[in-house]
Parts: sequence; structure tokens; C-alpha cells
Amino acid sequence: MTRKSDYVTVGKDTQRKDGVAKVTGSEKFASDLSLPGMLHMRLLKSSFPHAKVLKVHTREAEKLGAYTLTPEEVPDIKYCPRLVSTPEATYKDWRILAKKPLYVGEPIAAVAADTEEEAQLAVEALKVDYEQLPAYFDAEESRKPGATQLHDAIELKGTIINPERNIACTLDLQEGDTDAAWKECDEVVERTYRTNRRYHLQLETKSVLVKPEIDGGISVWSTTQSIHNTRLLLHEIFGLPMGKIRVYKTPLGSSFGSSIQVNTIVPIAVAMALKTRKPVKLTMTREEDIRDHVSYNMIFKVKLGAKKDGTLVVGHLDAVLDLGSHQIQAYALLGCMAGWWVSLYRLKAKSYKSVAVYTNKTPSCAFRGYGNPQVSWMVETIMDELAEKIGIDPLDFRLKNYIGEGEIFWGQGPTVKSVIRSSGVEEILKRGAKIVDWYNRPRAGNQTGRYRKGLGMGRGFHTSSAGAPVPGTVVDFSGAIIKLNEDGTVDYITALMDHGGGTLEAHAKIIAEELCLPLDNVNVISADTSTTVYDVCTHASRGIYSGGGAALKVAKQVKEKLRTFAARMLDAEASALSFRVDNDRKQGVIYAEGIKGREVTFKEIAYNARHKNWGTIAAVDSYRQPACPPHFTGYFIEVTVDTWTGKVKLDSVVAGADIGTVINPKLAAGQVHGGLAQGWSMAVMEDMSYDAKTGDLINNGNLTDYKIPYPRDMPDLEDFEVFFVETVEPTGPFGAKGIGEGALNPVAGTVANAIQNALDIRFYELPLSKERILRAIMEKEGQ
Amino acid sequence: MKITINVNGKQQRFDVEPNTLLLNLIRDEMSLTGTKYGCGIGECGACTVLLDGDAVLACMMLAVDADGHRVDTVEGLSDGNKLHPIQQAYLDEGAVQCGFCTPGFIMSTKALLDKNPNPNEAEIREYLNGNICRCTGYVNIVKAVQCAAVKMKE
Ligand code: FES
Ligand code: FES
Repeated sequence: MTRKSDYVTVGKDTQRKDGVAKVTGSEKFASDLSLPGMLHMRLLKSSFPHAKVLKVHTREAEKLGAYTLTPEEVPDIKYCPRLVSTPEATYKDWRILAKKPLYVGEPIAAVAADTEEEAQLAVEALKVDYEQLPAYFDAEESRKPGATQLHDAIELKGTIINPERNIACTLDLQEGDTDAAWKECDEVVERTYRTNRRYHLQLETKSVLVKPEIDGGISVWSTTQSIHNTRLLLHEIFGLPMGKIRVYKTPLGSSFGSSIQVNTIVPIAVAMALKTRKPVKLTMTREEDIRDHVSYNMIFKVKLGAKKDGTLVVGHLDAVLDLGSHQIQAYALLGCMAGWWVSLYRLKAKSYKSVAVYTNKTPSCAFRGYGNPQVSWMVETIMDELAEKIGIDPLDFRLKNYIGEGEIFWGQGPTVKSVIRSSGVEEILKRGAKIVDWYNRPRAGNQTGRYRKGLGMGRGFHTSSAGAPVPGTVVDFSGAIIKLNEDGTVDYITALMDHGGGTLEAHAKIIAEELCLPLDNVNVISADTSTTVYDVCTHASRGIYSGGGAALKVAKQVKEKLRTFAARMLDAEASALSFRVDNDRKQGVIYAEGIKGREVTFKEIAYNARHKNWGTIAAVDSYRQPACPPHFTGYFIEVTVDTWTGKVKLDSVVAGADIGTVINPKLAAGQVHGGLAQGWSMAVMEDMSYDAKTGDLINNGNLTDYKIPYPRDMPDLEDFEVFFVETVEPTGPFGAKGIGEGALNPVAGTVANAIQNALDIRFYELPLSKERILRAIMEKEGQ
Repeated sequence: MKITINVNGKQQRFDVEPNTLLLNLIRDEMSLTGTKYGCGIGECGACTVLLDGDAVLACMMLAVDADGHRVDTVEGLSDGNKLHPIQQAYLDEGAVQCGFCTPGFIMSTKALLDKNPNPNEAEIREYLNGNICRCTGYVNIVKAVQCAAVKMKE
């Protein structure tokens, strides 16, 4: 394999190709689009957490000249908005417009009018007769015997299932002889953890624009992480031929998992467009968006045992998932949670019981890390606690038990196992420890006084994609089209969405590197479902690893065609030809080494091929990754706790990451910066609580009462160090792995460990808010 | 109501309702969609524009209050083919991820550097403290402001 330092384009910072559009305001996000004659839509949403809709009165709204859409007018089918899993793992319990809403904010009806203001007046003129039903805001309550069943019937692969006691799905696993293993343990820690419920707060609220076409088809521009899955779902719901549904790639104003599923508003807007035969647009207000999606909240009852010498032996996890009112991917998540739990440390025996429970809250969906930040928070804090009990340094405890190269990795759960082929774990931990002088950190409980400092560490990982050697219940493959233009540039066409992390920039670099082209000669073309081949979705930190893998595979095919044409032109042996970048001529060049004059540029090849009628050089293919290699991260975080107020200040951060070959250095570091910020606010700030009387959010949908960090809440530049360790992933394009989710996953656990180090208090519930910390200090130390 | 606003250096006339928000006027009537809606209640800074050089939140202002004033949006910053040094600095430092917050940050940066060409890090963070970015953790944004300050002196 080529050494990293020999790469021409990979690993260099460049100006992102979509950058000029983004800094000049000309980038068009879904909410920026409009069409002539377009109608504006508003939604009527349930004011109750559980009710039966008896009637929607539309007359007053229609008098105002608005179009209306009621539950009776939409296809009466159940669907699941996420199409990443195979049918045996896809539970369908959604209806386009609810007849029996299950959360405050669930859409019941819609209106469309010429202006947003008219639409708003019309939606206010709609009246609904409801019959209120009992509601549950706690998973333990809703699964009690005798609780009212929220869903009567849901669908799984064409069969109807009856979710008794509001249990949506379950998954149990066992590996090894746990009974015998528990007997081997000298120390066991057993704890219950509760996570918070966080809102993605992607800066762009969800939006959709639908245009009915003259041939009966539709064109769709929407906030989505997958254009192809959007098309598949609309085909499934409306029965339109797939060739008549065109879903266009539209830049994402960030997403973080909130648009893995096809958004609730998309089929509603399509139904309205088909009814009115006019283009319709629907952009959520922030108050609507905040009631649309949220992270899963989880309860973990966990038990972990080790020997005196610091060898981990066995663990048991009992997990309850409060999924809210509808399934998006709860079953798949139960499998992933098992994977997140057992992938950091070696357990020779383990058992896992999990259940996902319906409640009358906002439907939960993936949020950067897909449950891994929650599980890793638990794992990394209980590891610290167990280390303390054994009397071993927590860092040494991790070094002794981590799962590394050559070992089996569960990754996204038992169906996605593969072998780890690259690991920088040890280097991350040792280098980080040296920078922060780990072994001389304060001893927990040694400090008095108002301000107390703490230093904590935590590990994390995430899979790069959901690839595996054998197919499981997750779809994961990508595809690419590359063609040579007559000026010697190539067009690269992919369905894969870039969340903003620079994924497509990385793909362009991979193509440029392989074809020996100046980066400027790779054009990234924005396309749609009709002009791209399938890519499942940009999630699971798979953009560079899977999508980049597809780009590389297709670039290799184009390279062989170029070689054949060049051999004909140069009268040379194809296999003897070499490729190089010629930056002066701004061309890729193919040449016979040592033989003067025997060289030809890509432009000359394309020119010749056209005039000699040889055809266009192009290739298209799909690519499935044979693994989902973990990218590893490790954080060292220093905090100061104000024991008078309970407020925690983030003093400094050292973050190490093993992401294989680094393709976009500054943007990769940017993933870590953003991951830290999100993890910090997960740890100390964010929570969505519900009013048990009204079922609505306590924050009333207002950002004023849902705080995330502002610039001043983050550490100074000199107090935030990010380093990448040198590894090469043999299955990744040019040795690369992912980064997006691993950047966030360890943060909350690290922060909790730092706070423990400062106060000698452990917390088992997130967030570590001022109030919670102050209460704990008062309990421990008195007033 | 008839109003006149100097938009990015050009006098323009508009007929607006008394309750029209400046943000809606900019996005819908002027078709300058670089200015974003992120919250509508003054919490996120995505709608930041300059009013006579001062950073203001277009979602918190009525269009009629801009009558007779100059409004600068992100679209007016670059001259022709050359990016403004602030825009270039945001790209050079990797301060742009999804880019949805970027116009607001760039306009806040412009207001800051016009007033204080040599801000220290604390001053930068203080000035940008009304803008939310969910992607970058602000690190590369602060670097971009520092880099822009240098570029603007060149
Ligand atoms: S949209 Fe104006 S501050 Fe958020
Ligand atoms: S770059 Fe996405 S919100 Fe700032």
C-alpha cells in the first residue's frame, strides 16, 4: 500500500467544492426553494397526547379559499418511514394523517393556500372533534398490565401484530456461560442509569417542496439523508411508478440522524400536491420541528464483573427503550445497543435483554451515534466505578480490556459482526494520558472549597457503515457513476448526501487520487433518483467508508478504460502504462515510462475517442463493504465544578481519534469539535421533559428554553487539542474509516468521570444539570 | 405601507404590511434566501443582517423599521467573482460544515471586524454569542474570524 505521505490529494486541505455557494448565500436548502404558482401548506396537529379524531370540520377553512386534506383523503395504509432495514426488521405503525393521534403535534389535517398567512388563517379555521384517551409519559407506566394499548395493530412483513402492554419489540441475546463467569468475578458493580431525551436542533427545520408533473408523476425536494429511500416509500404509499417519482438531492442544513427516515411532512405534502395538482411547500416552524423528533431515552440496568487482577469477565444489560409514540427504527436499535455495549471491552460471557416501549411522546429517531452516546456514557462510567472498586487506574483498566486488532467486533449488533483490522486505541490512550499528565490527576474526594477541578477520560467508537461479510437485516451499499468529459475532467454522480462534514469533498479526493487528476478536474454533480444508482442513506458514519468505497471502485473501472484507450493511441502495452497528475497542464496524463513522446492527456483521450467514435469513457457500479470497521476515539476532559451553584465549566479537552487515513484534515477535526460540543450539551444541558397534564413539552417548543452551547460555553482554542493517530484500514478507500459519530460518543461519559473526579460523586441520570449536581453535593456534604 | 430600503447598495421600494417581518421581506420579496430562518424568536442568529452596519436579527424586526435605512445581506458581500476576505477565511479554516448558520455568522463577523479590527478570542466569542452552530463547536469559526481579521488588513 502507498504510504500516506505519497498521496497527492488525499490528506490535503482544500477549499470545499460547495464552499462558495455556502458562504455567499446562494446554496439553496429545501426551505429556500420555491416554484411559480406554489401553494403554502400548514398542518393541523393534535393538541392531545392520545385521542380519537371524530371529525375534522373543514368548511370554514374552505370558505377562506384554502384547500384542505383530512385523514379520510389519504391512502389508508400503515408505513414505516425508515427503509434501512430489511422487511423482517421494519415495523409499520404510521398513518399519513392520524385518525388516532398518539402525541401532541401529530399531524391530523392539512391546508394549502396562496400565501403562508392565508394558510395559517385557514388552519386556525379547522375544527376537530376529539375523544380524549389515557396517555403515558413513562415507559414503566405504559407497559404495566392493564394499561391502555396505544396501537391496536401494527404490521411486520405483511403480518399484523398486536403490541400488547405497549411493547413494540424485544431482543434478547446470550453468549458464553454467564453463570459460570459470574462465579469467577472478584468484584461486581450493579447500577441503574437513565438517559435524557435530546432534540437534534439541526439548524434548518424540516422542509419539503412537491411539484405534480404533467405526466401524473411528482418531483420532490425535501430534507432527507436518502433520496432513494424517499422515492421507495412514496412508491409504496401512493403506488406511483418509480420512474414518475423524482427526488432531488437538496443540501442539508444539518440533520444528525433526524432525516434518516422520510419526514412525516413528505407524504402529507405529496398527498396535497396530488389533490390540488399544484406545487406545494411546507416548512416546519421551529416550534413544530421540536415536536417532530427527539433522541431515544433509555433505562439501563447493568451489571459488570471483573477479577482482582483487572480482567473483565462478564456483563448483563437490561435495557428499556422509551421510543415515544411511533417506531422509526426501534427494533434495529435494540440490536445496535447490544453491539455498542459489548464492542469496547472484552467480555467472555454476556447476556442482554431489551425491550422497546410505546409512550405518548414525540417519536424518537436516531441522533448522531444512534444510541451509542447513551450506551457509551453508561459503559465508560461503570468502567470507572469498577476500576475504582478493584483498585486499578481506570486508564490501565481500559488498556487491559479493550477490544483491538484481530478481535471480533459486534459493531452494530449480532448480525453485523466482523474482525477489527486497524486499531489506534492504545496510542490514543497513551498519547492523551501524556498530554494531560493523567497519572498525576487529582484524587477524587481530596478537594474542598468552592471550586473543584476534575479530570476524566472516556473511550468511544462507532462503526464506519453497517457493512458486514454476510448480509443481515441492514441494507448497506452504495453506488457511483463516473464519466470522462471532453475536456479531460470527470463528472462524479452519487446519490449519497453530504451532511456538511465534507463527505463529497472526500469522495472527489479519492477519485482524483486514483485517477491521478487535479482535484479541480473532478466535478461533483448534484442529481436525483432517476440519474443516480442506489445509495441507502448517509448515516452510520458510512459516507467516506461506503460511499467513498463505491467512488473508488468505479474510478478503478474508469482507469482501466482510460488505460485501454491510451494504449491504442500510444501503440503501447496497456499494462506498462503509468498515470500522473500534470498540474501545469491541469490534466491527468498517461505515459510509457522512459519513452519520450509516448504520453497522452485525458483531454486528448476524450477528444480522440469522440472523433474516432470509440465512445464515452464511463462506469457505473454498486459497492458493498465487507466490514464496518470501528473508528476509535478517546477524550480527556478537565472541568471545574462550582459547588455553590452546581455549574460545571469546561476547562480543557484533549481528543484523540483513529479514523484510518485522514482525507480532509481540517474538516475531520471539525467533526471532533462538533462532536465535543454536542456531547458536552448532552452531558450537562439538554433534556426534553413533558408536562404530565397536557402531554406537551415543558419548553412549549421554544428554543429559549432548550439551551445548547453558544461560542462562549466552549473552551478557548488553546485548550482544545485534537490529534489523529496513524492507522490504515485495509478495507477502506485509501485506508480511511468514518468519524462523525465516534467524535461524539465518548463525551458524556468522559464529562461524568471528570465531575466524579472533582466531587467524588457519581451520577446515574442525565443531564448533569446544575440542579442535579447541587442536590447531590448538598446530600453528600450538607448545606 | 410604502418603504424604501437600500439593499446591498441599491435603493429599492417595497409595499409591505405593517406586521411584515424584515426576515420575510428579505427572503420572500427580495428573494435573498441566504438570510435564514432558524427559530424566529431571536435565539439562533441565523437571520443576522446588517442595518446601517450594525448586526441585527431580521426575525425580530419589522420591515417598516428598516424604512430609509441600509440593509446588508450575505449576498452583497463578495464583489463579483472574488470572495470577501471573511468568506474566504471561513472556507480556509474549515468553518463551514452544513453552512446553514454560515451567513448569519459571516454577517456578525463583518459587524464585529468593522468595529474592532483586532478582536481577541474572548471578544470574538462574546460578539458571536448570539449565533448558534450545531455542527462546528465554534472552533474553526473563531479561527476564521481571526484569519479574516488578518486578511482584512492586507
Ligand atoms: S431566526 Fe432570527 S434569531 Fe433565529
Ligand atoms: S455549519 Fe451547520 S449549523 Fe453551523
